[in-house]
Amino acid sequence: MFGYYLDLAFRNLKRNPGLTALMIGAVALGIAVCVMTLTMYRAMSGNPIWWKNDVLFSVTMDFWDPQQPYWDKKPELAPEQLTYRDAMAVYESDIPKHKVIMHKAVGILSVDGSSVKPERTVTRVTTKDFFAMFDVPFQYGGTWTDAADTGPEPVMVLSRKMNDRLFGGENSVGRRIRWDDNEFRIVGVRDNWMPLPTFYDVNNGSLEEPEDVYIPFGWNVALELPSAGNTNGWKPEDIQTYQDFLSSESVWIQMWVELPDDSARGKFQAFLDNYAREQKRAGRYQRPLNNRLTKVDQWLVDNNVVSNDNRVLVGLAFAFLAVCLLNTVGLLLAKFLNNAPMTGVRRALGASRRQVFFQHLVEVGVISSIGALLGLALGGLMLMGLRALYTVDPTDAGGTQALAHVDMTSVATALLLAFFATIAAGLYPAWRIGRIPPASYLKAQ
Amino acid sequence: MTAWNLRPIASALWRNRTGAILVAFQIAIGLAVLVNAVYVVKQRVEKIARPTGMDTANMIWVASAGFAKDYDYDASWREDLATLRELPDVKAASLFSNIPLSGGGSSNGFQPRPGEVTPKETVQGNNYDVDEQAIAALGVKLVAGRPFEVHEIQPPSEAFEMSPQAIVTQAFAKEMFPNDPNPLGKTFYDGLSKPITIVGIMEHMHGAWVGWDKLDHVVLFPRIKDGPNAVYLVRAEPGRRDAVMRDIEARLGDSNPGRLLRWVRPFDYFIHQSYLDDRNMAIFLSSVTSALLAITALGIFGLATFNVSTRIRQIGTRRAVGARRMDIVRHFLVENWMITTAGIVAGCGFALAIGYWISIKYELPRLDLYYLVGGVLTIWLIGLFSALQPARRASTISPAVATRTV
Amino acid sequence: MLEMQGISKIYRTDLIETHALRDFSLKVGDGEFVAVTGPSGSGKTTFMNVAGLLETFDTGVYKLDGEDVSRLSDEARSKLRNEKIGFIFQSFNLIPDLDIFDNVDVPLRYRRLAKKDREQRIKSALDVVGLSSRMHHMPSQLSGGQQQRAAIARALAGDPRFLLADEPTGNVDSLMARQVMDLLEQINEMGTTIIMVTHDPELARRAHRNVHIVDGQISDFQPYETRGDAIVKAASATVAMSPA
Repeated sequence: MFGYYLDLAFRNLKRNPGLTALMIGAVALGIAVCVMTLTMYRAMSGNPIWWKNDVLFSVTMDFWDPQQPYWDKKPELAPEQLTYRDAMAVYESDIPKHKVIMHKAVGILSVDGSSVKPERTVTRVTTKDFFAMFDVPFQYGGTWTDAADTGPEPVMVLSRKMNDRLFGGENSVGRRIRWDDNEFRIVGVRDNWMPLPTFYDVNNGSLEEPEDVYIPFGWNVALELPSAGNTNGWKPEDIQTYQDFLSSESVWIQMWVELPDDSARGKFQAFLDNYAREQKRAGRYQRPLNNRLTKVDQWLVDNNVVSNDNRVLVGLAFAFLAVCLLNTVGLLLAKFLNNAPMTGVRRALGASRRQVFFQHLVEVGVISSIGALLGLALGGLMLMGLRALYTVDPTDAGGTQALAHVDMTSVATALLLAFFATIAAGLYPAWRIGRIPPASYLKAQ
Repeated sequence: MTAWNLRPIASALWRNRTGAILVAFQIAIGLAVLVNAVYVVKQRVEKIARPTGMDTANMIWVASAGFAKDYDYDASWREDLATLRELPDVKAASLFSNIPLSGGGSSNGFQPRPGEVTPKETVQGNNYDVDEQAIAALGVKLVAGRPFEVHEIQPPSEAFEMSPQAIVTQAFAKEMFPNDPNPLGKTFYDGLSKPITIVGIMEHMHGAWVGWDKLDHVVLFPRIKDGPNAVYLVRAEPGRRDAVMRDIEARLGDSNPGRLLRWVRPFDYFIHQSYLDDRNMAIFLSSVTSALLAITALGIFGLATFNVSTRIRQIGTRRAVGARRMDIVRHFLVENWMITTAGIVAGCGFALAIGYWISIKYELPRLDLYYLVGGVLTIWLIGLFSALQPARRASTISPAVATRTV
Repeated sequence: MLEMQGISKIYRTDLIETHALRDFSLKVGDGEFVAVTGPSGSGKTTFMNVAGLLETFDTGVYKLDGEDVSRLSDEARSKLRNEKIGFIFQSFNLIPDLDIFDNVDVPLRYRRLAKKDREQRIKSALDVVGLSSRMHHMPSQLSGGQQQRAAIARALAGDPRFLLADEPTGNVDSLMARQVMDLLEQINEMGTTIIMVTHDPELARRAHRNVHIVDGQISDFQPYETRGDAIVKAASATVAMSPA
C-alpha cells in the first residue's frame, strides 16, 4: 500500500507544481534556517565535555575589592581567575584526582635549521594534568611529569596542526624546538581536539581554537611571563618587579580540579574555606566567604558564553520554523481540500478513513523529505555564508575555525527536529481530509 | 450588495476559518519579528557607525616581535620609527602600547584627589602609552592644550607606571571634573595617588572595547611601550594607505633578523573584527526577517489563490447578478484585510512581549511605539500586495461559469 | 439482499433540520434491477448514500446480505463498500490524473489484491464495457459515454453484489444513454443487483421495479409503470412543494 500511496503522492505533487514548489520551498527554508541557527547555537553553547560534567570543577575564590563585587550584575560570583599565590597554595592540595593551574602566554616558536619561518604562537602554560583531566587525545608521546612543572624542565607538547607544519607530521617526540629563544624538548603531540566553546579559559573569545603549544607551569616564573589573557586587579599596588606582580592581588590564573565523588568535593570545599579563613585572619579576604566549585555547564552560563545574541537567534529560528510550518499546514490544507472530490470517490470505492489519512500523510512525508534534502543543502550553503561573515582574515584562525568544526550530530539533530515538525504539521490536514463525509463531494454540483 | 458591507464577508470568512487563522498566525509572528528585528538592527547599525574621533581610513598598524637573545629593542624601535617617518606619503608614525578598537588594551581607575577614594569617585579610562607623534598619527582633534613634546616621553618601564602628563578625551575630563568648564592644566591621580597633569584635551577618541560604556574615556601617556614587542601606528596621506602598507612590508620585512614583522594591517581590520558580531547580527537578522516576511507573503498569496479557486462559481454568480470587476477585487481585498488585521492585533501583543524581553536582555530602552506603527503599516502593505494578484484574477472570472454545470 | 427498516436521516445545521429520510423501509432482492425515482430533494441521493454506506443514519435497521451494518466502524463499512458495492455517478467521477487502467485499479488497490489478480480483473472489466483498447488513455481523452463506461468498469472490477447508479445517463447524450443502459441490463443479467436513481422515465421503465420517493418516504404511487407519461406533470408538481 505504501508504494501505491507514494505513487499517488508524486502524481498529486505534479498536478499543482506551483503550490508544490511553494510548499517544498517553505519547508526547505524553514529547515535550512533551523539547521543553521541551531548548529551555530550548539557550537557556541554546548557543553564540550558533558561526559565529565559531574566531576570537573572550576575553582574560584572571592577576595575582590571589599567595596564592590567583581561582577556588578552577578554579585554572587567570584572573579573567574585566581591570584598567583592563591593558585599556588590551593594547588598544594592532594584531594583532587586531577588538578590544573594555568594561563595563556605568547612566544615565538622556531626550529633551528628549519625552513619554516619563526612563528608567534599562543601557548598554554599549564600543569601536567591538563591532558588527562580534559581528555585531550595524543597522537605521539604524552604529558610531562610532576617534576617538570616545578623544575621547570624544558619540555613541550605541540598540537598536531603545529607538528604538521613544523615537522611534516612525523613523530617529533624528542626533537628540539625554540620558544622565545629557549630550547625545549618535545614530549608529546596532542591529536586534533576542538572543545567548543573553549570552556577551560573563557577569557578572550570562547570560539578560539585551543592553543598549539603547551609548556610546564613553572616557566612563567622562570621566564617572567605575563599572561596573554586578561589580568584584572582592583587594589592600587605598587608593582615594580615580576615578584611584586606574583604576590599582588591581580587575578590571571585559571584553575580546574577533578573531584570523583561528593565526598572529595566536600573535602576540597572545606579545604578551600579553611584556606580562605586563614587568609582572612591574616588580613586578606575582607569579602564574605565565597569559594566556588562550578561545573562546566554552570560555568558557561555564569560567564555569558551563551550570548544574548545567540538566544535571540534561537528564538528567531523557532519563529521562522513556526511560520514555515503554519504556511505548510495552510497550503497542505488548501491542496488537500482542492482534491477532496477525488478523495470522496476513493472513499466511495472503499478507502477507509485510515487509508485516506495515511495516503495524505505519505504525501506530507514526500514533501517533508524533499524539503529536508533541499533544506540541508541550503543550510549548508548558509553555514558557508556564515563562515564567510565571520572570517576577518582567511589566514587567521579564530572564530572561523569553530564553525568549520560544526559537528554532524548537531546538524542531524536540527534536521530531524525540523523534519518531524513538518510531518507533525501535516497530521492535521491529513486527519481533516479523512473526516470529510465522502458523500458531500460525489454529487455533480 | 455592496463590497463595503463587511458583515457578510466576515461571516463567510468565519465559516471557512482554518486557513485564515493559520495565515493570521503567520502575520502575527511576522509582525512581532519584524518590529523587533528592525529595532535591534537599528541599534547595531548606530553602534557600528559611531564616530571614532580618529582618521581610521588612513591608519595602518604594524606589529613587530623581537625574539632573538641579542635583540636590541631600544635601537630597533628608534630605527623602525625613523624608517616609517621617512616613507613617502606618511603623515606621522608613533609607537603605541595597544591598538584602540581592537578588543585588547589596558584600563585603569583614576581619581580626582589623592588618597583613598570611594568606587564612585573613581573614573575608568582606557590608557595608552604613546610618543610625541601620537596626536598627528591618530588624527584626533585637540580642543585644548597641545600634543606631547619629545622631552616628555618616558623610557620603557616593566612596571605599571603612569607618566606625570596626560592627554585625555573630553568625556574623561568631564567625568573627572564635572564642574570645571576648562580642565586643561588640572591634576588627577592614579590608583597610587601619583599626580598626572592634563596637557591636552581631545575632542573625541575611542578606546579598546566596543562593548564598554566607557569607550570614549581615553587617557594617553607619553611613554615608550615596553619591549620586545612593538606596535606602530602609521597615518598615510588620504588615499595612499594601501601603497604605504606595501612600502612598509618591503622596508621592515627583513630589516632585522632578530625580530619578526608580524603583520601590517589597516585599522579597518581591527574595527571590523571588533564589530563583527554586531555586523553579523544585523545581517543575519535582516536576512532572516526578510525571508520570514517573504514566506508570510507567499502564505497570504496561497490562501487567497485557494479561496478564489474554490469560489469560481460563487464569483461567477456575483458577476452574473451585477457585481463589477472592481467589486470582486474589493471583496477579496477586504476579506484579506480582515485576516491581516486579525493577525496584526495578535502580533502587536507578541511584538510588545518580545520587545520587553529583548529590552531586558540587552538593557535597551523599551521598544518605541513608532516601530510598531511602522511594522503594522508594512504588514498591511505586504498583505495588500500579496492578495492583489489573486483578487484580480478572480475579477476576470466570466459570469458564464455560473450557468455551466461542470 | 438489501433490507432497510424504518430508517430516518436528519441533516442539522444551526438554523434548520431537514428530514431527508423518514421511516424509510425497502427490501431489494438478489438479482433485482430497481429504479428509484422522485422529485429533486425527495431523498433519493440520501437513500443511495445510506445504501452505499457512505453515510450513517439516525434510526432504523439496515441489513446488507443479512448483516446489520447500522453500528459498524468506518473501517468495516469501507471494507463492505469495497467488496460488495459498486458506484456509478452522474458525473463519472473518474480521477483525472489516473489513466483508465489505474482508475479501474483504485478499488482493487484498497482490497490489497495481488498485482496479477488485479490486472486480470481490470482487463476483464474493461472487456465487458468494450474499452480494452483505451485502457491507457486519460479520462479527458474519452467521450462522455466512454467515460461512463470506464466508470462502470471500475464499479464492476471488484465483483460487487450491488451496483448503485446515481443518474448514470445524466451527463451523456441519448444514444450513449441507451448503450449505458444496455450495459447495465447485461450486468444485471449476470447476477448483480442494481439500484439506479433516474429522472428518465424511459430508463425507469426498463427496470424490474420502480420505487418512487417523495419527502423521504416511499410513495405507493407508481408513476411510470402503471400510468404512463401523463403522470410526469404530477411529479413536477411535487418538486415545487418539496423542501429544497
